[in-house]
Amino acid sequence: MEKAWLYPRSRARRVWRSVVLIVAAALVGGASAQTLTMAMAAQPDTLDPQVTSATAAFQVAKSIYDTLVEVDQSGEIVPALAASYEVGADSLSYTFHLVEATFHDGTTLDAADVVATIDRMRDPATASPKASEYAAITSVEALDDRTVRVNLSQPAPALLATLASGWGAILPSEKLASGHDFGNQPVGTGPFSFVSWQRDNAVRLAANPDYYKGAPQVSEVVIRFVPDSAVQLQGLMTGEFHVIDTVASADVDLIESNPNLELVRDPSGLALVAALNTRRPHLADPRVRQALNLAVDSQTVLDIAYGGGTPIGAFMEAGSPWLPDSVQPFPYDPEAARALLAEAGWDGSVTLDMALPQPYENHIQAGQMIQDYLREVGVNAEIRIVEWGVWLSDVYGGVHDFDITVIGHTGKLDPTGRLDGYGTEATNYPGFDDAEVAQWLLDGAKETDVEARRELYANVLTRLHDGAPFIYIGTPNRTHARAANLQGFWITPMLDSFDFRTARFE
Amino acid sequence: MTRYLLGQALSFVVTLWVVLTLVFVGMRALPGDAATILGGMDASAEQIAAMRERMGLAGSWGVQYAGFLGDVVRGDLGDSLRERRPVTSVLLDRLPVTLALASLAFVISLVLGLGLGLLAGLRPGGVIDRFTTFYATAALALPEFWFGFLLILLFAVNLGWFPVLGLPPTGLSWQASWHLLLPAVTLAIPRSAQVARLTRALVLEQRRADYVRTARSKGVTGRGVARHIASNALPGVLPLLALELGGLLTGTIVVEQVFGLPGLGATILGAIAARDYPVVQGVTVLAVVVYVGVNWLADLLQLAFDPRLRTA
Repeated sequence: MEKAWLYPRSRARRVWRSVVLIVAAALVGGASAQTLTMAMAAQPDTLDPQVTSATAAFQVAKSIYDTLVEVDQSGEIVPALAASYEVGADSLSYTFHLVEATFHDGTTLDAADVVATIDRMRDPATASPKASEYAAITSVEALDDRTVRVNLSQPAPALLATLASGWGAILPSEKLASGHDFGNQPVGTGPFSFVSWQRDNAVRLAANPDYYKGAPQVSEVVIRFVPDSAVQLQGLMTGEFHVIDTVASADVDLIESNPNLELVRDPSGLALVAALNTRRPHLADPRVRQALNLAVDSQTVLDIAYGGGTPIGAFMEAGSPWLPDSVQPFPYDPEAARALLAEAGWDGSVTLDMALPQPYENHIQAGQMIQDYLREVGVNAEIRIVEWGVWLSDVYGGVHDFDITVIGHTGKLDPTGRLDGYGTEATNYPGFDDAEVAQWLLDGAKETDVEARRELYANVLTRLHDGAPFIYIGTPNRTHARAANLQGFWITPMLDSFDFRTARFE
Repeated sequence: MTRYLLGQALSFVVTLWVVLTLVFVGMRALPGDAATILGGMDASAEQIAAMRERMGLAGSWGVQYAGFLGDVVRGDLGDSLRERRPVTSVLLDRLPVTLALASLAFVISLVLGLGLGLLAGLRPGGVIDRFTTFYATAALALPEFWFGFLLILLFAVNLGWFPVLGLPPTGLSWQASWHLLLPAVTLAIPRSAQVARLTRALVLEQRRADYVRTARSKGVTGRGVARHIASNALPGVLPLLALELGGLLTGTIVVEQVFGLPGLGATILGAIAARDYPVVQGVTVLAVVVYVGVNWLADLLQLAFDPRLRTA
């Protein structure tokens, strides 16, 4: 909802706002600063990490649960509940050695908890949306109290990435056995224990003094669900919130000019694309799809619709180590686009159906810009706004009712997470079909040699560049804002989880 | 009386059945289901099928419909597909916020509407009467959310007297009534306008009645006449008040969105977006029960106020 008119950015208003901020800071300062309040736009559907795929759920769950391994600030996978691990012969098993930790209900972490957790994930009755990532696991066994072995049917180099992700959270076996409602009453070993959750309002968490990596420095974390970025900013300025996760590009200057606020920009893990339905006869020719890539100035789309970012030339986030240097973004060259369209016999008789997902304003804006760019080279597109549930069921899935659609694909720690299914028409929404790509992907999923694996994915990405089942847009910056006196708060690379463990006020 | 009660009960059952059937069909006619949406962009087709099975969405509509009606008859609203807990506990979590907001709004609209209407009707053409006419026209002409934004802009953003955000993180409490005041006023504005208009009209009608002339001729003046007029005019407002009280429950949907309040409005919008059928159905049952119940109560109150209706 556009509510910019509520906040006219006049000079007088800025002065007034800083007065409010100073007064608020004076009132808030001192002992009460032990509570850290964050505003986030989305909200979890459940806090049971095994039955959801929602980023928002994992963003909150990160503070309550721990994983065997985790991602550090540079994106590397490092030990967590597993102090160390070994890879077995032929890469067909992983053995994890657990740290000493306790769950919030007082029980001690042991191998049985890990076994019960992974077994529940693999149980068809759980119906986890992430179950397929555990497909290579044949069994999980407790070698002793503190040692767990995961046995595999084939090498699974992506398994550590899965175990480091939000859905790899370890749950207490006693509560699993009794059918505890983790969705509404989460219990983990995490740095904060669950206090309360009122949907559409707030989750409250209390510091866990017994946390195995040392107690957090703030005593309480409150995460409030505030969909509107203008309200988030208002709360940040009055001191009601210490961190906000959504910054409208129009508000960037206001935050940067305020000495009490800090704007944090880092690259996200998103791959923004305008998918092209290659099943449609008029989009079946790769030359047409390449021409559409040449027709769009992706840097401008990123700057205007997404608040800045880096263009990409294939289906992988910018800066990914899996992207070969040879794959570069398509240049903006409307002349070349027209020539290529003419060569492919494009006669302009077809109007493309552009389905844009509501309520994602930035994707809708990007779609409108792309529509203009395409018109410049003689390709007409008509925009159709589609509600998110309808988009998932009829555009992304089901009958694939679209010619073009704009969306962002979230970051994955391992390339299989992003590329899985992109060689076979039936298992990817642009309908890209390439037997060689399919084979490379199968090989890549079990290749344990890093260099050989890198080459396989380089082949895949080169093919996805040339075949152009997408108009590649880019990877946007991830922006959040915080009070300048808040230090040590960070957002996990790729996974976008919130990490409050080292957060403190100065 | 028994006949009356039976008739009411029957019409309640029929209303409930019709509305629930409409909601059942309407929700399922929307593309996408809870499994598709919960699975998002990452779950494979097999995973989504497994989730659909687990949620009990795999069977035909007929089977689901029969099961659903059977559950409703037994008083069971089922489990939320998204929250994985009974719909009744979802409703019990959210109802207090909406009830608090609706009752506060009701009281405000009652005081404002009756007060303005009475004063305007007793002195037609006076300052208060002219103001009431202007207020009623303006309040009914402009959409509710417009007043909401206006109040936020003025009192929360510019003056800073009220918090911009719905509730404190601790949820509903006495301190929260401060948070609820702006949304309650937003809801009350158009409703008080209607009450004021009707009250004014009823008072004007009573002023012309014979008994008033008789009372005046017997020497009853000012306050005395006004008391007679008020006690005869006010029962006529009851049906409107009942309608409004029933309508407040749905009226809160928009206002809860504007103010970010975690009540039933946010619940039903979230549930529609997530295709959480049991929750949408549960909120509908609640709305029908409240609506029918309140109207029933108004009928009975009117009987109590007006002895003439009892013989009918």
